[in-house]
Amino acid sequence: MAVVTAPTRSGTELPPWAQRLVVPAAIVAAGLIVSLIVGINVPSWFDNHLQPNVKSLYGWIILNRTENWFFVGVLTPIADALEGCVRFIWWILRSLRWTGVLLLVGLVGWRSGGRNGLLGGVLPMLGIGILGFWDQAMVTLAEMITAIVISLVIGVGLGIWSARSDNVDRVLRPLLDAAQVMPVFCYMGLVTMAFSIGFPPAVAATIIYAVPPAVRLTNHGLRSVPTVMNEVGQSFGADSRQHLLKVQLPIARRTIMLGLNQVIMMAFGIVVIGSLLGTGNDLGGEVLKGLQKQNLGLAFAAGLAIVFAAVALDRISTGERRTARSSAEMPRFALPEGWPTWSPTAIGAGSVVLLALVTKLVGASKFPSAVEIDIQPTITSWVKWVQENLRSGVPIIGGTQPVSDFLVTNALEPLRKFLVWLPWGMVVGVVAAIAYLSRGWRLGVGCAACLVAIATMGTVPGGDDGRTQMWDHAMNTLSQVLVALVLSVIIAVPIGVWAGRSERVNSALRPVLDVFQVMPQFVYLIPVIFMFGPGRSAGVFASIIYAIPPGIRLTALGLKEVPMAPREAAISFGATPRQELFKVQLPLALRSVLLGVNQTILMVLATVIIAALIGGGGLGLVSLGGFQKQQVQIGQGLAAGISIVLLAIVLDRITQAWGSPRSSQQQRGES
Amino acid sequence: MKSTIRAGRWMLAGALALGVVACGSDAETQDAAPAGDEATAESAAPAEGDAPAAAPAGAGITLAVNPWTGAAVNANVAKVVLESQLGTAVTLTDIDEFATWTGLDDGSIDAVLEVWPSGHAADYESYITGKKSVVDLGPLGPTAKIGWYVPKFVVDEHPELATWEGFKDPELAKLFATAESGDLGQFLMGDPTYVTYDEQIIANLDLPLKYVVGGSEAALLTAIDTAVADKKPVLMQLWKPHWKQLEVELVEVELPAVTPECEASLAAADGAYACDYPADVLYKAANAKLETKNAAAFKFLKAFQLTTEQQSEIAGMVDRDGLTADVAAKQWVEANPDVVAAWLA
Repeated sequence: MAVVTAPTRSGTELPPWAQRLVVPAAIVAAGLIVSLIVGINVPSWFDNHLQPNVKSLYGWIILNRTENWFFVGVLTPIADALEGCVRFIWWILRSLRWTGVLLLVGLVGWRSGGRNGLLGGVLPMLGIGILGFWDQAMVTLAEMITAIVISLVIGVGLGIWSARSDNVDRVLRPLLDAAQVMPVFCYMGLVTMAFSIGFPPAVAATIIYAVPPAVRLTNHGLRSVPTVMNEVGQSFGADSRQHLLKVQLPIARRTIMLGLNQVIMMAFGIVVIGSLLGTGNDLGGEVLKGLQKQNLGLAFAAGLAIVFAAVALDRISTGERRTARSSAEMPRFALPEGWPTWSPTAIGAGSVVLLALVTKLVGASKFPSAVEIDIQPTITSWVKWVQENLRSGVPIIGGTQPVSDFLVTNALEPLRKFLVWLPWGMVVGVVAAIAYLSRGWRLGVGCAACLVAIATMGTVPGGDDGRTQMWDHAMNTLSQVLVALVLSVIIAVPIGVWAGRSERVNSALRPVLDVFQVMPQFVYLIPVIFMFGPGRSAGVFASIIYAIPPGIRLTALGLKEVPMAPREAAISFGATPRQELFKVQLPLALRSVLLGVNQTILMVLATVIIAALIGGGGLGLVSLGGFQKQQVQIGQGLAAGISIVLLAIVLDRITQAWGSPRSSQQQRGES
Repeated sequence: MKSTIRAGRWMLAGALALGVVACGSDAETQDAAPAGDEATAESAAPAEGDAPAAAPAGAGITLAVNPWTGAAVNANVAKVVLESQLGTAVTLTDIDEFATWTGLDDGSIDAVLEVWPSGHAADYESYITGKKSVVDLGPLGPTAKIGWYVPKFVVDEHPELATWEGFKDPELAKLFATAESGDLGQFLMGDPTYVTYDEQIIANLDLPLKYVVGGSEAALLTAIDTAVADKKPVLMQLWKPHWKQLEVELVEVELPAVTPECEASLAAADGAYACDYPADVLYKAANAKLETKNAAAFKFLKAFQLTTEQQSEIAGMVDRDGLTADVAAKQWVEANPDVVAAWLA
């Protein structure tokens, strides 16, 4: 931007578009020159030796973790406490029986959100029972409630701290990004070293993943408390504690509640991976079993149960945000005169317990199997049908297998080859130039630094020469992300436009999109492998399914938020609906659409990483290796994880700069 | 202020309430507690009920179940015997093959009954010979082997593909090409959490093949079925014993014999491996403290052995006949009292 406004003195003036490109071209050229000097391929002296260092640290931990005071005296008690919490909540849920749990969920939902809260809590829970996963869901709920409560406590605490200190904020920001983006596989090994196996490491990993939105939204909420309110507080002589508790937190409450919603959704995203660590018979374990046995019916049904559990918790805990009513207007028991105010609570709790006891006495402790519906065979037969009929021999497009082959041979592989072929410095230069054009010098330098850091991650075993640069794996992942992004946008924007112009379409799509987004990504891996065969295109299609919801949502939202005035003006000038869309609505909605691109790209990246399980390769496969062969490859797993984080930061910051003039992290996943 | 009081009352009421329910449900949760996975083992419930009466109960133990049928078979058979004969409550924990060792190390898992040594040389060295926190319980019985497999029709048409040298010919390797492998032949790997040296073998033998991960064991089985149906060659990592080999004729591709250099390379994990997979004498391992914690269970697990045929038989009941592993184990134990008696002798 600076270049455009800079006064030009020389007589031979370049046209404005060329002036804008002078600096970026110089950046690219600089990158190229650097890599011509130090080496077209990443030079070996670049290696930062992170991998061997992590490996030797890990070796030390293996030898010492059962004796060292820190592990025995600090971490083990924490692990025991986590285990105790989960087992206690699980025990409560089992003791209450299915009837008591349903009533409790209904009452809490009703208390917080009225009729909507009640139905929003009870219906999904019934759905879990009908799918036949009640018992497993209770284990999952116990894990999740523990993780969510702890995440909230930590998140709100850190959020308050970072709202009060810019330095803390600055330090925390990249750490939160890392916690959210780094694949769990990368630190799973370290978490099990710290907390052993079973519930504690699974809960700990969930907390790491779920804390960031709570911190971000608390911070954001507190920082956007209007100054007037702050001054009012001060003028009444409130000390800083009173000020926080009585003024800031109440005002920021809604934003913080939005954080709770995000924490819940994030936490449930980890359920499946947690089961690798031996959490027993929970919903994640069922999805995993389905994945291992290639049983899509089982994986999908269990995935749906996870969605239901997440929705139920969300609806009963964030009801007030939805209904936007103050608690004074909340429905209440009409209290007979003279009853104490706490009696509704007591009556509610009493009736839950009574119902549980009655259920036990009549011997109906198990969710009635008569109402269970086994959807697994149906889904399995659909998959069979798709596999037999769509894989090949479809007119015109040829079938899913030819489409998949086409995508690999004509898009993924050429792009990967090209990115690997380019001198690494030139890739850094191009990205830095794009970042510079998007937001200016600081972003350009930052992105360049991130990419150079990836180049220092060393090599990993495998590939044509026995060892492959982490850089090459990063380029492989980048090529998949770019292809999936383009396809996602091509699919999402038209659907979003359609939904934005028709309320009916919009409301029909909403529940579908909700399910798509909360469904664990793992579930998508199975159908795509049936349809597209193992490989990168299967991964790309899985990531498209997972990533289009935010694109559709934000496009639709953008169109709807275009003010009436310009649209009416256009119509009065005789614009056709088509012209109105392309000349008025879409341009005005562009920011929102670009914000959707920002959301999409991160979700694509997350799925492309997991797609290593079905042949995606790239950084995902390297990080997976870090979990599987911990002793040998823990270093490379962590190095790959850090590379993923750096890549994500680059992609996020650049697309974010397109989407909004200021940080819009906070709007993540807004529905 | 008001809201904190309200919350306090909630909790108080909740705690009281739970006390009541807990009293009512004590018996039920008590016997559910040791068997952590009672949720799915409905059929196991009656047996559990009278188990404690059968013998003086030792401390409950936890067995790891890794994600393949054989592992589930071993653990469930051992569980049935331990519970019915020794009165030891057994918790089965579904867990990843590698995380298992962390649990064995600190005792959160007492034993694992099927370790494939080829993938755990480093674990053996750290925990069993080094730190001595885990002990080797001796062989499980079956000798397994991982290897490279092609459907039989491939070798019928191209006999030279019966050994690895056949794959040096780029034209022959190309028979296995897919979009994912481009000009190279595709080598399909199943579950990426399983042991694999295929990438190293391919690179070090300089074969024109590309290593592609299918994602799961079932992906391999699907690939076999598709390959046989379409008569399209496929090359993959598989192992024996595997029930699929009884159903479809598969030929193991001969790789260079295991040399001392290769064994050294395995231990060093230096990426220079270029031999066939070593035969896997499956073994059992336990936490070192199990012997003092429950000597009877320790003795039993040490004696516990299944032959390849026995394990395949029970695995077939699960994979082919669709029984759950615990039901299959129970039926098999009832039908083979003499085998069980030998373990307990």
